[in-house]
Amino acid sequence: MSSYQPGSVQTHPYVDPTPLPDDIPKVQELGVTSGPLKSAAFFIGAYCKEYNEDFMLCKAENRDPGHCLKEGRRVTRCATSLINKMRENCLSQFQEHWSCLERNNQEYYLCRKPERSLNTCMFEKLGLTKVIPGTPQGQKPIHEVENPVFKAIQK
Amino acid sequence: MPVPWEALIPFGLVTVMFGISGTLLNVSTKAQNLGKPVRHNIDNWDEMMMRRDEQLTGHRRGQRDDPVPPPGFETSSVWQTEKTA
Repeated sequence: MSSYQPGSVQTHPYVDPTPLPDDIPKVQELGVTSGPLKSAAFFIGAYCKEYNEDFMLCKAENRDPGHCLKEGRRVTRCATSLINKMRENCLSQFQEHWSCLERNNQEYYLCRKPERSLNTCMFEKLGLTKVIPGTPQGQKPIHEVENPVFKAIQK
Repeated sequence: MPVPWEALIPFGLVTVMFGISGTLLNVSTKAQNLGKPVRHNIDNWDEMMMRRDEQLTGHRRGQRDDPVPPPGFETSSVWQTEKTA
């Protein structure tokens, strides 16, 4: 076996440029990348709760990609509207927080200071709070603890 | 007795070599990650999000917060294929 043997996995990945058929309603996809999405994640959960739950229940019935397109369009539209509102009202705090996340492996516990200012701005302007579901009763949620054990090394 | 300065040359050499290789490694990793620290403990979710970031910005560590995607985003997904016949 001294001659070159090509592998079975293609080295040129395949891109399919065919758009969706015209009978499926069009929705503009969300063009936000992972850092800003992680920053906005809990606010998307608070703002779009009903649409997200609809989508998850629909997916629980059937995992086929074509099954939940309508609920998926609603989720996309809701998330897009929230991102637009966040950018209108709290742009600098939002950008500060997601830049901090990008510098820190996208970990929340290393970016509490920008997160606190973003949370106060979101609460004042839009009335949304970050709630961590599944926090045990009587225990402070980790993002509100003043002196956590797991924190950044430098202040 | 004069100080045996020739004996300190290997210490200096080793320090300089560690320093140069560490600096080169740091510069190389920072350049590959657009000046940000390297992402570690990447699971399948993070891998999927970084592939999406590459579709949106052209680089796996590129970020943008414009809700309107660049044109052609809906059909720019990359599929890995395998030859079966």
